[in-house]
Amino acid sequence: MANKSWSTVGKPEQRIDAVEKSTGKVRYIGDYSAPGLMHAKLVKSTQAHAKIISIDTTEAWKMPGVRAIITGKMFPFHIGPILADRPPLAFEKVRYYGEPVAIIVADHEHQAKHATEKVKVVYEPLPIVNSVQQAFLKDAPLVHDNAEQYTKIISDVYPKASTNIGSHIKIRKGDFDTAWANSEETITATYSFNLSDHVAMETRSTRVEINPAGKVIVHSCSQSPFTIKKVLNQFFNVEVGDILVHIPMVGGAFGGKGTVQLEPLAYLASKAVGGKVVKLEFDREEDMTTAPCRIGFDATVQLGVTKEGKLVAGKYTYLLDSGAYSDQAAGITRAAALDCTGPYNIPNVWCDSYCMYTNHPFATSFRGYGHPELTFAVERTMDQLAEKLQMDPLQLRMINGIKPGHTTPTQTVLTANNIGDLEKCIHRAKELIKWDEGQKVQSGKNKVRTKGISTFWKTSTTATNAQAGAIIIFEADGSVNLNCAAIELGQGTKTILGQILAEKLGMDMNKVHVTMEVNTQYDPHQWRTVASSSTFLAGKAVVFAADHAIAQLKKTAAVVLQCSPDDLEVGGGRVYLKPDPTFGVDIKDISLGYTYPSGHSIEGQIVGIGKHIQRHLTPMDQQTGFGKPGPWWSVGVQAIEIELDTRDFTYSILKGVTVLDGGTIINPMTATQQMRGGMYMGLSYATSEKFVFDEQGIVQNSDLRGYPMLRYGEQPTEYLVDFIESPAIDGPFGARGIGEYGVIGAPACLANSLSIAADVELNELPLTPESIWQKKKEGTK
Amino acid sequence: MISFDFMYFQPSSITETIDMYNGVHEQGEKAMYISGGTEFITFARTNKVYADVIIDSKGIPECNVLEMRNDDVVIGAAVSLNKITNSNLFPFLGATVKQIADHTSRNKITIGGNINSELIYKESVLPLLLVDARVKVVKGTDVRVVSLKSLFDRKMKLSPGELLLQIIIDSSYIELPYISLKRTKFSKVGYPVVSVAAILKENQLRVAFSGVCDYPFRSDEIEAILNDSTIPIVDRIDKVLGNLPSSIVDDLQGSREYRSFVLKNVLLDVMEEMEMGE
Ligand SMILES: Cc1cc2nc3c(=O)[nH]c(=O)nc-3n(C[C@H](O)[C@H](O)[C@H](O)COP(=O)(O)OP(=O)(O)OC[C@H]3O[C@@H](n4cnc5c(N)ncnc54)[C@H](O)[C@@H]3O)c2cc1C
Repeated sequence: MANKSWSTVGKPEQRIDAVEKSTGKVRYIGDYSAPGLMHAKLVKSTQAHAKIISIDTTEAWKMPGVRAIITGKMFPFHIGPILADRPPLAFEKVRYYGEPVAIIVADHEHQAKHATEKVKVVYEPLPIVNSVQQAFLKDAPLVHDNAEQYTKIISDVYPKASTNIGSHIKIRKGDFDTAWANSEETITATYSFNLSDHVAMETRSTRVEINPAGKVIVHSCSQSPFTIKKVLNQFFNVEVGDILVHIPMVGGAFGGKGTVQLEPLAYLASKAVGGKVVKLEFDREEDMTTAPCRIGFDATVQLGVTKEGKLVAGKYTYLLDSGAYSDQAAGITRAAALDCTGPYNIPNVWCDSYCMYTNHPFATSFRGYGHPELTFAVERTMDQLAEKLQMDPLQLRMINGIKPGHTTPTQTVLTANNIGDLEKCIHRAKELIKWDEGQKVQSGKNKVRTKGISTFWKTSTTATNAQAGAIIIFEADGSVNLNCAAIELGQGTKTILGQILAEKLGMDMNKVHVTMEVNTQYDPHQWRTVASSSTFLAGKAVVFAADHAIAQLKKTAAVVLQCSPDDLEVGGGRVYLKPDPTFGVDIKDISLGYTYPSGHSIEGQIVGIGKHIQRHLTPMDQQTGFGKPGPWWSVGVQAIEIELDTRDFTYSILKGVTVLDGGTIINPMTATQQMRGGMYMGLSYATSEKFVFDEQGIVQNSDLRGYPMLRYGEQPTEYLVDFIESPAIDGPFGARGIGEYGVIGAPACLANSLSIAADVELNELPLTPESIWQKKKEGTK
Repeated sequence: MISFDFMYFQPSSITETIDMYNGVHEQGEKAMYISGGTEFITFARTNKVYADVIIDSKGIPECNVLEMRNDDVVIGAAVSLNKITNSNLFPFLGATVKQIADHTSRNKITIGGNINSELIYKESVLPLLLVDARVKVVKGTDVRVVSLKSLFDRKMKLSPGELLLQIIIDSSYIELPYISLKRTKFSKVGYPVVSVAAILKENQLRVAFSGVCDYPFRSDEIEAILNDSTIPIVDRIDKVLGNLPSSIVDDLQGSREYRSFVLKNVLLDVMEEMEMGE
């Protein structure tokens, strides 16, 4: 529970970017223009799988303003974050509709775009891999001929020769076969979760220049500034120290801006025009299909239980549609495996999680990193199992909820610190959704109201050496600047870090200035702003930086006040004597060193530095999955109440509930926003969002005319959020991560409530009135 | 980003507008009228439409009229959908166009643009067909007022260079009972799976459809069936489905079979709301 003696942590402080954003004054990457700025536009594949026979640029060269044309032949190498399997520009063949084939650099954006229309590419169509099931077949066409020969950037990836398997992650815990054979009741069910897009408000955009001194200067809307450096170094042979990356505020990312796609293209473009500044900004259509999207997911879940409903065996086969390249889908394959069971204690677990290549746009991280997908499969199965057992679905979850002392599928031992309290979350959600008033009631002519529930969990699978740092420096008025490479993408991270610092220094929030822009040259290294990890990693770095500054403040003050540093306390803009707080010195008088009336000065300015690196994380064993993949698990429960018209299958979402145990909540207002926004996003792709492919693998709805999503104002009428705060002893003020969590259970509880309402098992998303009607029709045949 | 170059003009009179169109035409170039411009911009950036010259009709005073004139409601072609709804001059039309797009887009989308849209929906036409609206159009020096019905067959039959100026509605229709029902895929903002508008005039139901076939329509045959009180309602509706002017649309918004399911339900709702029961 929040410590009542805190003055800033645990308080609903206004987001520090709120005024700038709501007055429309933030300048995003795409807003930049300057004389001499050049523009790059892409020629994109019109085919999903084809040999490139020729690329004729003659006509394009004749267009006004064209300065350079770059094709894949000029950089015929593969890059990638986990497995280097993706050429920045396709060469020899294209593997998805929308894939970059050539770059045109021109003086103006419209000139570049116009010239792209004049490039003639001749393709020879190849057989299309249009689904994960097809990709998995023995004699399926191959998306990559020699995937096993690609360079591994991270160890946990296992491409399989002569197949479309980009990676295969296994979990073998206990003895599944025996437990399954001895189960008193079993269930097997299959699910499918569609490919979709992030649709962040800001489309991806970057600009790159190579200055005369050879420095590569990148401005981008990225979640991974240090990965940009790594990629340009690893694959383009630029010295790491010569790469400077700037990230301003980012207009929404949701994982989609973690991939390094545009920066290498803009780098090649800049190089082709003698290092001039080149801007590459994606149109919405490019942002949806050329840039990576969200994985598709097919699952088969088998659960074995005792008559009393105790889970004894679980088997999970996950097929991830990673599209043409593995990118982060290889990591999601691993993340889905290591949390495959959902937050349940199952002694015997078997999981095969496959990253499958197809000829769809390639997939990357998306808020939840595989968890909304696996949770949909697991939680639908739990509901169907409860029905088989004639047991209350909540009761079944209660009986099996994971707790300290249990182990995860990778056999990490759980403790009261590294996992939240699921049982408390279930109880609270049960109250908020008024479960006891009935799960299904008739609410009018042709109308039923039903409730669906979903538990969820997730760990933060960072690199084992993921880390963050923070530097704090002081102003002459005693206020403090915080520099840290956590990126503000609308999730409120800069506000949270400011609150942590304010609390540590006993200062008002308005005395803490958090630098919004990230600059890799003066901000200490931070892994990336993904995986709900910034509050934890950067938060801890800020705590240490504050302690470091406090020690210095006390040292200077001890000289001034002629006492021991141990006698002193920092707070209220002062350093003062613990036993007599009236006796002290203002921070402003010592923050830049203390000057005596004589003019003599001592100690100099205060500079606080702090850092934190993950501890005791390990890769996973290839055969069993054994390992410690993440530092903690946040857990939660979501519930939904819907009203379905049983005649035409239209429905409305009446109420949404999210209860999360993410440790101490640093800011209840921004945390509530995160849960609401998350649930809303989950509901949008559970109700609406889906890429549609034709038989040639061409995306049929690559713009917002054809790609359906929920609009502002279509959130549930009633929207309740609550937190259980079981502190993580090693988190900053007891906090764990919460950023992604609101999204995870939403599709599952929607499907659970609708399945009860429509009286048919709904195991495929999205759930439109048409898809329910379709299922009903099949069910009644 | 629109990649091709084009010129933009906003003339302030009908004559200037027409002269400009003809001038461009005579030079062998393509001119195009716009009003809200939303369709032009979104289609042009993906090269679905091309023009050398864009002539914006928003500067023409006649196209911005929105008022009662004697016994008529007069609506300029360049009036935005939101203005029509907010004016409350003709609630039936206001309610129908409020179901088009989202609020922000409706600030820009005009009734003239919607009626002349390249898309198959043109939902604002539904109430207009039912109330025997007239339209004022101009071509060269020839201004004429004709019934919408005579010009609208699947789409507006305007000849090249002809400009829609106004829509005129006899105010006696304003008080008639009406209903406007739209079903979308899921989100309220979306193209229609089925959109139906209906009024009751002298106990006779008039109905118009969008999203069902690949053009909006009103059909005497269908109205005759629906008004035939000798047949049970469900049978009338089944009969309507057998008498559609062309096959039902099958696309991203909904399959053919699903659309016919929705259409039946929507017609049931219309009959119930309009108290057309046996
Ligand atoms: C988000 C969104 C959702 C939408 N949803 C729907 C929907 O649910 N239902 C629906 O029916 N439509 C829908 N539309 C389509 C929209 O109504 C049409 O695209 C409409 O044409 C736009 O009007 P405008 O005034 O901006 O058109 P403009 O771009 O100005 O013009 C459109 C066409 O009309 C012609 N034109 C315009 N004015 C005149 C005139 N005075 N005389 C002759 N020709 C003229 C133009 O030459 C052009 O061909 C939607 C559009 C958007 C952006």
